Amino acid sequence: MADWEIWVVIGVLCVATAATRSAFWMIGHRVTIPPRVQEMLRYAPACALAAIIGPDFLIDTQGEVQFTLANPKLLAGVAAFAFYLWRRNMLLTILFGMLVFTALRVLHVFGAAG
Amino acid sequence: MSAEDGQGRHPASIGDAPNREAWSDGFKTGLPTLFGIAAWGLVVGIAMVKSGLSVPQALGMTLLVFAGSAQLASLPLIAAQAPIWVIFATALVVNLRFVIFSALLAPHFAHLPWRQRFYLGYISGDLTVALFLQRYPTAAPAVGKLSYLKGLMFPNWIAWQVGSFVGIFLGSAVPAEWGLGFAGTLAILCIMVPLMINNAALCGVLVSGAISVLAYELPYKLGLLLAVLVGMVTAMVIEETIAKKKVSRG
Repeated sequence: MADWEIWVVIGVLCVATAATRSAFWMIGHRVTIPPRVQEMLRYAPACALAAIIGPDFLIDTQGEVQFTLANPKLLAGVAAFAFYLWRRNMLLTILFGMLVFTALRVLHVFGAAG
Repeated sequence: MSAEDGQGRHPASIGDAPNREAWSDGFKTGLPTLFGIAAWGLVVGIAMVKSGLSVPQALGMTLLVFAGSAQLASLPLIAAQAPIWVIFATALVVNLRFVIFSALLAPHFAHLPWRQRFYLGYISGDLTVALFLQRYPTAAPAVGKLSYLKGLMFPNWIAWQVGSFVGIFLGSAVPAEWGLGFAGTLAILCIMVPLMINNAALCGVLVSGAISVLAYELPYKLGLLLAVLVGMVTAMVIEETIAKKKVSRG
């Protein structure tokens, strides 16, 4: 792509962000959401976060599902989850999870493939 | 109920006055996530430069777009010379969850001037929304609300931009196999856990996570959207089933 085309793409992505993030803030008070949908939306943040991280834990760089002990991200994720339930401290959990992930990866525990 | 309180102000605006304590509360709540956010920004910064964007283009993209998943999704499409409307459509779909988020957050601040609503919406990322709603689940006015949001939001924006800039300038030196983006994934995990407030939410999360993996191959990241929708409906159905059981037991 030419330089100007990439700048057009950046502009278009900017519009896509504004349209999805800001539109409701601009016009939302003129729209009434049915109570049932509001009830359902309460679960949206948790479900959205799960949908974002699900593939990070389970799908490898080749796009294959890795539901095995050889998947360092899955094991480190389970370890971090347990650690968070125990200590309830996010920063420590991130450091602990990265440590487990890196150890599994470098030491090839369970035949972990980078 | 009258539209104005005793001081002649609109009741919704009682949360707008700058409130230092609320700002630092928000900052403290978001602080542990900033490390993960910066690591995530770093990964996107590296990806932008490695996929062939020039440094000014990459800086422009991170400053103007500020939507990591949409940026990441657009990079292979740019490299493949995809038509611009395809890139636009893809970014819209990747960002569709933000429409749900804005529907949750916007009612809290519907009384603010449009310019402020526009930029608050524009820079409200996943983590900001999730953490804010944990503290203020309903749109009822509360002292310090706006300051709390800003205390979450501005440091989050700065952490992302710092991470991205480092990624853009130094990123090619960081080996991809270090998997620094995983720190961002772990940050999201920590924020998700307290949101599993009941069994219904737990089931929604499990279903949503499973579908995001099974539907990963769908084009334009539609799998993400499908996962969120099915997860929400599942949680709702389970909540209603539990409620009915309680009623029938008396």
